[in-house]
Amino acid sequence: MHRLRVFITSMGIIGPVGQGIGETIDSVQKSTAAIKPLHLFPASHIPPLPVGQITAVPWATDMPRTHTLALMASRDAMKDTCEAPDAVVIGTTTGGISLTEELLKSQIQDVRRYALHSAGSVAEYIARHVGCNGPVLTVSTACSSGNTALKIALEMLRSGKVNRVLAGGADSLCRLTYYGFDSLQLVDVKGARPFDFNRRGMSVGEGAAMFLLTAAETPPENAIAELLGGGLSCDAYHPAAPHPQGDGALCAMQKAIADAGISPDEIGYIHLHGTGTVDNDLTEARAIRSLFGDLPVPPCSSTKGAYGHTMAASGAMGTVMSIFGVTRGILPGNTGLHDPDPALPLTPISVPTQPEAPVRFALSNAFGFGGNNAVLVIGHPTRSKNTGTTVAATPPVFFSVLGSACLGGAGDIKCIIERMAQDEPFAGTVPPAEFTRYLSERHARRMKRLTRMTLSLAIAACGEKEATDSPVSVFFGTGWGGLSETHDFLEKLFESDERFTSPTDFIGSVHNASAGHVAIHFKAGGPNVTTTGGNCSFEQALMSADLLAGRDRDPLLVVGADEYHPTLSPLFDPSVAISETPSDGGGALYLGPETTPSACRIRTACLDYAGTDEQDIPNRIGHLVEQLGGVQRIRDQFGTILVGIPAFHRDIGQRQLDAFLSASGYPRRIIDYRRYTGEFASASAVAAVLAVSFVKADEVPGTHPRYPTPLGGCGVLILGFGDYITAMEVLP
Amino acid sequence: MDQLIIELKQKIIETLNLIDITLEDMDQDAQLIGGDLGLDSIDVLELVMMLEKEYGVEIDNKELGVKVFASVTSLAEYVFNNGLSGETRAKTV
Repeated sequence: MHRLRVFITSMGIIGPVGQGIGETIDSVQKSTAAIKPLHLFPASHIPPLPVGQITAVPWATDMPRTHTLALMASRDAMKDTCEAPDAVVIGTTTGGISLTEELLKSQIQDVRRYALHSAGSVAEYIARHVGCNGPVLTVSTACSSGNTALKIALEMLRSGKVNRVLAGGADSLCRLTYYGFDSLQLVDVKGARPFDFNRRGMSVGEGAAMFLLTAAETPPENAIAELLGGGLSCDAYHPAAPHPQGDGALCAMQKAIADAGISPDEIGYIHLHGTGTVDNDLTEARAIRSLFGDLPVPPCSSTKGAYGHTMAASGAMGTVMSIFGVTRGILPGNTGLHDPDPALPLTPISVPTQPEAPVRFALSNAFGFGGNNAVLVIGHPTRSKNTGTTVAATPPVFFSVLGSACLGGAGDIKCIIERMAQDEPFAGTVPPAEFTRYLSERHARRMKRLTRMTLSLAIAACGEKEATDSPVSVFFGTGWGGLSETHDFLEKLFESDERFTSPTDFIGSVHNASAGHVAIHFKAGGPNVTTTGGNCSFEQALMSADLLAGRDRDPLLVVGADEYHPTLSPLFDPSVAISETPSDGGGALYLGPETTPSACRIRTACLDYAGTDEQDIPNRIGHLVEQLGGVQRIRDQFGTILVGIPAFHRDIGQRQLDAFLSASGYPRRIIDYRRYTGEFASASAVAAVLAVSFVKADEVPGTHPRYPTPLGGCGVLILGFGDYITAMEVLP
Repeated sequence: MDQLIIELKQKIIETLNLIDITLEDMDQDAQLIGGDLGLDSIDVLELVMMLEKEYGVEIDNKELGVKVFASVTSLAEYVFNNGLSGETRAKTV
């Protein structure tokens, strides 16, 4: 047993005010304002709206901009080391959309050109560059993504399972955010003026900030700062507007402070989310006032008036600003603030300031659509009294499965099991009648296919327990997010020569929109995390749940779902492109702590980014077997294995499976579940619910000439092969 | 004017996906936003976009929006007096 602390040992940043720490700090000291009319791509506004754009990086038509920015920041963060990090966690919302927009506008049909569309492809791109073969996670919680990614990285390090994590946030300018925020009338045509009396909205921006985090008992020599704690919450109030009193923001700040083991009076600086919208700044100011009560509010500022709202990168970039405050004694000025708003219960510092006393701790705030709030506590590496988190060699933590539901082409779990009993596939798209069982037309009028599916699954999984023991936190995995909304938004935009869009579709196109609706339905104010890691998005959601809610007493939901969209799914998902039956669906698990009595329990045992290097298969499979507790345990514990190999990765996946079977000598039935579910990113969520159903019934449906159907009190293992190697265990 | 009111009701139902609402269900003088239809600020923005596209009417501030979106009647009056089609209509009356 030992005690671990988490240190930032290097960092990289690129934004409209500079590339690298040196340029950025120089700009901060000079209060450089970089908000200018958009010139990266032609816009229909005359003049174009002011944005925070990185002029040093040209607009490219062969590489998505988010990937480029994330790589630039990552290279800086990794410049002092050649050792690969054990894990990569990146928050992003736009992913490769900047390039996808160009391709769709030109009606390009070549699937290969869309290979970097997904949000998950950013972290994978970085993982390949830095040679990471461990967990690679993508967080899409809108504008709080960067800080949420850092909180997940913090918990990974505290768990003692990894020692070094590369984490942060990145997003680029694109038509979706440029026109989307304008359609919501949230853009200030004079440029963002956070907390100013005359503020009229934000300026959309772009950037990336990445950190190399290291777990250690004492500060390493190269420690820049300490990441002491993080707090996540969800307003569960509205898809796009903050809670009027800032309750969710307050809760996230309180949780972060408690997590860091400090008290509000020790905080010397707050980097505000401060977007410049009327509502955000008012509710954030109210939340901070409530946090401090009778105590004076420490110096605080938002830098979004200098470089705009950099979306998923904003929290991570704000964390860099907080680090400047703690370690360099420079508190950034709130650029754009000229006339303080008397209606606000706080006034940020308008110019760069040296603190009167050294700042021991700083907060970094980030809030986003879906009511997502993520707050971090940063400290000086040696001035803190932190004694760290105790890490003990404990057995793996499982969640008790209290309820489950799944949907596929055949309908619900009952219909799916019936098909399996006949050994027939149930591929296809989910019949819409499955949604109307749970959602009225009025209730669902602003929800398109993915949100309808996700919310229906969540309600079905909780069943009657919703009334007495409602889920507090929500974890949602989706490979592609709301494709209907993304498609409809861009179609309307391009049809009208970029003059008209749908604000509702913009809100719905954000990957975490569905999870936001689930939170609103259940009034779930705990962490609300959406993971978008391609074919293992559901596994990423379950792993995030383990890291963020594994020690909670409260029930939670883990959902995985993807919709089939006739235009976009075959372009984006190469496995869908080569499959004959359009399919979609998902699964939801309503979970509680392991101590809650239930028929079965679940955990993620492995989530490795394997890449497609065939030479490396023996190592990767060796690691998988080790994570599962060795060959004997695999043979003893599991009565059957559900294996998912996405069609596009069939060749390498089959070789990985063969290597696993040869290494483990596993003697019982292997079920290739995508042959039943059809091809869609979150098919593993359906597999997880099937496994739960098998374990509860203690049998596998259908007859097989060689294998018996009873499980004999054993569990079910769910393996995923392809570019990721994943394992989930369901045990009685 | 009556024709415009019916037309606007149809467009509101279509734009906001109010498929369980009929033209008769919509009282032209009832409170449009925050009333029985359950419409909110996002719906207002969706309608702003529709009005600009279909009638060339711009509503870019909250104060004006509150007046215009008070009811279907007030909306029709505003479109009639300010919209491109409104002008055409005015000339032909």
